[in-house]
Amino acid sequence: MNSAAKLSPRAGDVLVMVGTVKGAFLFLADRNRREFKMSGPHFLGQSVPSVAFVGGVAARILVGNKSEHWGAMVSWSDDFGANWNEPTEGNIKFPRGGGDALNSIWTLETETALGPDTVLAGVDPAALFRSDDRGETFRLNEPLFNHPDRPRWNPGFGGLCLHSIVVHPQNPKRMYIGISSAGLYRTDDGGETWTTCVNGLRVHPDVPGATLCPHKLRIDAENPSRMYLQSHPGTYRTDNEGRSWISIEGGLPSEFGFPMVAHPHRGGTIWTFPLTADAYRVPPNGQPKVWRSRDGGASWEALSRGLPERDGYFTVLREAFCADTLDPAGLYFGTRGGQVYASNDEGDSWRMLAEFLPPVLCVKTVAME
Amino acid sequence: MRVHIPSALRKWTAGREVIDIPMALDMRMSAGEAIETVAGEYPGIRDRVLDEQGELRRHVNIFIDGENARFIGCLAAQVKADSEMWIHPALSGGAN
Repeated sequence: MNSAAKLSPRAGDVLVMVGTVKGAFLFLADRNRREFKMSGPHFLGQSVPSVAFVGGVAARILVGNKSEHWGAMVSWSDDFGANWNEPTEGNIKFPRGGGDALNSIWTLETETALGPDTVLAGVDPAALFRSDDRGETFRLNEPLFNHPDRPRWNPGFGGLCLHSIVVHPQNPKRMYIGISSAGLYRTDDGGETWTTCVNGLRVHPDVPGATLCPHKLRIDAENPSRMYLQSHPGTYRTDNEGRSWISIEGGLPSEFGFPMVAHPHRGGTIWTFPLTADAYRVPPNGQPKVWRSRDGGASWEALSRGLPERDGYFTVLREAFCADTLDPAGLYFGTRGGQVYASNDEGDSWRMLAEFLPPVLCVKTVAME
Repeated sequence: MRVHIPSALRKWTAGREVIDIPMALDMRMSAGEAIETVAGEYPGIRDRVLDEQGELRRHVNIFIDGENARFIGCLAAQVKADSEMWIHPALSGGAN
């Protein structure tokens, strides 16, 4: 590992962006993904629960940074972290007079089908914001904000967070969002109307009236009607665009976990990181393992080569596990213990990128074009 | 009156540590009005001190002539021509 004040990616390089409770860190490697240079900390002392990469005419890194004193906002760098731009005024704000105030920015998402300048933000309290200027200004999606279900949305331990945004790759007017502890919602008209899509999901703790608590939603690489969900109680798949869900947790050591990752190119391949439910939230038996399915969740295999064999009690949060777009796909996850692990062989083996970072909140990656 | 800017916010006041607001001797204004006056010239101040509902952020304190404004009306607390007002990050924390 080499530290570098400035990163200069070339085509084919892989950039890994890591947000922690005390700042952001950037890692850069060539396509072999064996030797990484690190840049950071950026925004030292601030939490960074979300990061994103905006491509197109020029590369831009976005971070959803939050100062406990001065609030949360989306900031950006157009030179891979050498310089950062903070907006003069907050660029994600709730309507004045409504009583809601931004707590944190849980996720920042881009999607090719939306266009190169569009960024979607999911925030706490639960709301969806959209930017069409590469993350500099955002506007609220009012139909979701005013959804009649909203009074029944119930904040989880992490807050009332909109954490998952999935855009249909061919039809960007169709989107799905996930909110803890509220549920999953779908729009077919670009966000003008939203309908719940939780048929088949069980609530926690199976008490009538309890609310749903999805943790992370991902879409299949080849079949956009198929999605995967790590929920609070259970791991699920839908084959009909969220109209119904089936359990795919058979073979996993636990029904609980936070992240879910889908292969960037190969349909049916997914990864999750099970944790012992419910109050413990640590790897079963202190043995951290990534679990992979190559058949849409019908069967699972444990992947642990390079991970601690024992006494591993860290947690991997929902935003802190991702895949790059190379072949074979690289995987990256960060832990609440401050470690970042990487795999350049789709999870068969793992190496530690960083050992002593602050607790990791999010990890995202991009292969430079 | 005089507003003291904490070091963390001085990049939004062109490096200025204090900002003087001219007031007649018999004039009064609220702490919130003083913040808005500063923000009129330095807009980066407003959203960092106040949330979008206009409330003082939870971990930001304002002291007026040695009193914590939260105990004397918060943003409605009155300042006068010879008042000194400090914007200060709260000494809170411990969770992370």
